[in-house]
Amino acid sequence: MTTVLHPLVKRFLDGELRLADLPPELHAEARAAERLLGAVDRAPVTLPAALEARVMAEVRQRVIAPSARRWWHRLAEPWEIRLRLRPWILGPALAAAAVLVLILARSQPPVPPVAVAAAPESVYVRFVLYAPGAHRVSVAGTFNQWDATTAPLAPAGAAGVWATTVALPVGQHQYAFLVDGRRWVNDPAAPMVDDGFGRRNSVVAVTAGAAGARAL
Amino acid sequence: MLAGDTEQYAELVHRYRDRYARFATRMLGSVDEAEDAVQDAFIRAFEQLRQCRDPDNFAGWFFLILRNRCLAERRRVARAGPGTDAVVVLATEQADGPLVQEERRRALQQALLGLTPEQREVFVLKHVEDLSYEEIAGRLGATIPSLKMRMHRAYDRLRERLKDVL
Amino acid sequence: MRLLAALGVLLAPLGVSAAAAQRPVARQLAGRVPAGVVVAVTALADSAAARGLPVDPLVEKAIEGGAKGASPERIVVAVQTVLTRLGRAQVALQAATPGVPPADAVEAGAFALSAGLQDANVQEVARACGPQCSAAEALRVAGTLTALGVPPAEVVELVRQTLRAGGKERDLLALPGRVEAELAGGSTPAQAAAGLARAAAARAAAPGQSGAPPHGRPPPRHP
Repeated sequence: MTTVLHPLVKRFLDGELRLADLPPELHAEARAAERLLGAVDRAPVTLPAALEARVMAEVRQRVIAPSARRWWHRLAEPWEIRLRLRPWILGPALAAAAVLVLILARSQPPVPPVAVAAAPESVYVRFVLYAPGAHRVSVAGTFNQWDATTAPLAPAGAAGVWATTVALPVGQHQYAFLVDGRRWVNDPAAPMVDDGFGRRNSVVAVTAGAAGARAL
Repeated sequence: MLAGDTEQYAELVHRYRDRYARFATRMLGSVDEAEDAVQDAFIRAFEQLRQCRDPDNFAGWFFLILRNRCLAERRRVARAGPGTDAVVVLATEQADGPLVQEERRRALQQALLGLTPEQREVFVLKHVEDLSYEEIAGRLGATIPSLKMRMHRAYDRLRERLKDVL
Repeated sequence: MRLLAALGVLLAPLGVSAAAAQRPVARQLAGRVPAGVVVAVTALADSAAARGLPVDPLVEKAIEGGAKGASPERIVVAVQTVLTRLGRAQVALQAATPGVPPADAVEAGAFALSAGLQDANVQEVARACGPQCSAAEALRVAGTLTALGVPPAEVVELVRQTLRAGGKERDLLALPGRVEAELAGGSTPAQAAAGLARAAAARAAAPGQSGAPPHGRPPPRHP
């Protein structure tokens, strides 16, 4: 038995035809198909008011922190570029994810103003996570063999913000944040690929040279 | 308003918080996911306020950002392969009571998740949001024939998945 | 564990033995994944090496699975999937250009496949690259564009047109950001990529013209 609806029945579902406009032999099919539309849930949806507060908390963070291009034009070496800030607030429980990329001059002395020195073919990447309520946060990925103990984030600045700076080898990396040692979180606003374990990994690519730095 | 006026943006967020919540919920299958998508869309919209070409039409512009977010999420789930969204198969011969109605609604929502994102979008805009094909075409920048083609394929797929339920 | 046992039977001809515990792959995995997984992944790594495929991605995926608490069977399946993709990428690259494809290109091709591109797409991207750009970079960009939701055909066309217009590696690297900017403006991923491809094609057709490329995306629509 074919499962394709008759074209006239489809037009009936579209609202272009009335039941009376259909040949009698199609009435049963049309009524059966109409039950499909009868099951549509048209109830309005109200989102929690707390969503507004979370959005505005992130928006105010953006306003406080200057944009990438203003930094680019303002600072002499060593300079910083914030290429992307993608905070993500995941549900009412905890985590929002963001990757904030600060690229420091690779080939120019002096040593960048951070404690960790980068090898010649690596770039400093700053990871930022907005996770109010989290007790510990770390970032793990292909750059540290998914060892969540090597790159813990520390509370930074505004409440709920965690950050760390990691020297990443030039190349493409996959990563995710681990919150409270049990919950893997990534940035759904960033490109992601399936990890093969039912989750997703965020993707970041860093290239040699400040102008070519990218957080993909 | 636009760029830089955070407190006026708070007013926009308040005004449009629920405007497309139903659309996002039907597209993604749960209020939780819709909440995440709407939140993300608001933040993206603030980041890109300078690119809003028609400041008086924030609603339409915001809808497109949210829509893209929903489509991207559904494509990701689709790439995850079969089994990501289990089909709820119900066998019921009970009277058409409220419990049965609720289960039918859930079954349809589950079946909607089995459509392609583009098919689901047209179905939701027409049969949940009650837009005409002309309105949908204007909103998405698509042609009416292409929308009808997606819709009619959606009808067939939904009917196939739900033939034992509805 | 039946899967691991079956894998052991199938891989026995490869000569996996207790001595595997002393090999570099096994040393990397020791303590990070169950012993059965060490044996299975070592065998898969041997298979990869025999075929001229990079081994590191297999080890990385196993370590990732261990870190994420995945079951042994799932880890082995995930590693097998990576191996399959590496093999497919190698074949696609060999079809695109003569010679042995470099390991980074094979890895990048596998990444592109994991993002959703098909073998033919990998071949097309590599062929479009030619000697003027790194196939590895082009494939990483192509994979990232796919992860952003751009359909495969549009990904290939965008990369091809960008290179045809004389684009360098930095122009390729900029593509994901440019697509995301278009997405934020209301375009679909397909529209964004198609618009950028058209702009690149226009530049290629009229070299020497200055000015910003035309926007290819439609204006925002009214509700």
